[in-house]
Amino acid sequence: MSGYDLLARALAACWRERWTGVLRVSGSPGGILHLQDGLVVAAESPGAPGPETLLLRSGRVDGEQWAALVREAGGARWPAAGLIAHGYAGAAQLRVVCLLALEDAVFAIVAGRVDGCERAGAGAGPTAPVAVGEPPARLLQDAARKLAALAALPRPVHPDRERPVPAPQHDGPLTPLQRALLDHADGRRTARDLAFRAGRGVYTVTVEVARMLGEGLLECPAAPAPIPVHAPPEGIRHRTPPPPAPPPPQPPAPVDLPRRRPSGFFRLRNGTPK
Amino acid sequence: MDHEALELEMRGLREQVTGITDTAVAAADGLLIAADTADTIDPEGLAALAAAGLGLARRTAQATARGTLRQTVTYGSHGCAAFYAVGDTALMVVLGDEGMDVDGLHRATGPALDRIGSILMHKNKTAEGV
Repeated sequence: MSGYDLLARALAACWRERWTGVLRVSGSPGGILHLQDGLVVAAESPGAPGPETLLLRSGRVDGEQWAALVREAGGARWPAAGLIAHGYAGAAQLRVVCLLALEDAVFAIVAGRVDGCERAGAGAGPTAPVAVGEPPARLLQDAARKLAALAALPRPVHPDRERPVPAPQHDGPLTPLQRALLDHADGRRTARDLAFRAGRGVYTVTVEVARMLGEGLLECPAAPAPIPVHAPPEGIRHRTPPPPAPPPPQPPAPVDLPRRRPSGFFRLRNGTPK
Repeated sequence: MDHEALELEMRGLREQVTGITDTAVAAADGLLIAADTADTIDPEGLAALAAAGLGLARRTAQATARGTLRQTVTYGSHGCAAFYAVGDTALMVVLGDEGMDVDGLHRATGPALDRIGSILMHKNKTAEGV
């Protein structure tokens, strides 16, 4: 049975039973699907950027802002209310991001190798579920349609296989996505790696990489660059063990902790503290 | 040391675990041995940081009675950096993006670290020729 059939059969059984829980898909990249009454409400895979990556890498929110939102939300991994309240994204935009990430994760799982599916009970809830779950059959059809569309391109690529580099010269106007892919393609990154780097869906990026290879904007080097190895001249020595622990110190008298001094940059932006 | 075997192990790990972006192997004192890293990363500096980071973590584990150090992982909003000791002679650095499954990485690196340890300690014709 093919990997796709394994997954289709497991999901069809979940749908029939209106099952709630987590379905673990082993394989490469594999992933997990969260089901609610037989409907898929979230999917996560190492093969596709999740909603958080899409927001952070696209520059809509930066790392510090995200950490503040998570603190504000009491540690929630998906601080949706804060994102909306601070104006980083609209409610409708967030719903679209979550649904696209869900479909993209299913595409990545189906495009890769599926070794097996295992039901794992309820477990931890999904990070960013969609409000209304998707019927599994519709998600699988969508993934199959995308795979067929990729295979039909003149120069098809796989999300986890080709590691392209920019072609020596190209002219003509470029879309922002094409420019980003040319910037990040270094012969080490697959379409999946480029999708994470650019903060875009893995299907969108795989299609664009295939098109750019077809148009001669990108090319695939014949062999990966060799890894330089330097052997230390006097061989590899064993680590010297750390010195024995010092005797326990006398209990110190309580003192005020030293305060961190703001750097010049901080003073410039915030004025010198009085 | 068999350079080709080391290169195969490093490349194999990057292909086995989705999300690994860079790897490096260095002696325990931080001297770089091999780097499979992007141009944006200074591999010598990274090796030195890893040696210092593992040293600090080892001392912390000792001072707090946490047993033998397993690894250190630094988490950032754009991914993570894991430092592993290779026996008591070397270390390995693995950098990954947000998608990398860190538990899966630890499972995959266990056997790879043992093999890299024996490659580094094995003296053969290749090592004498260099």
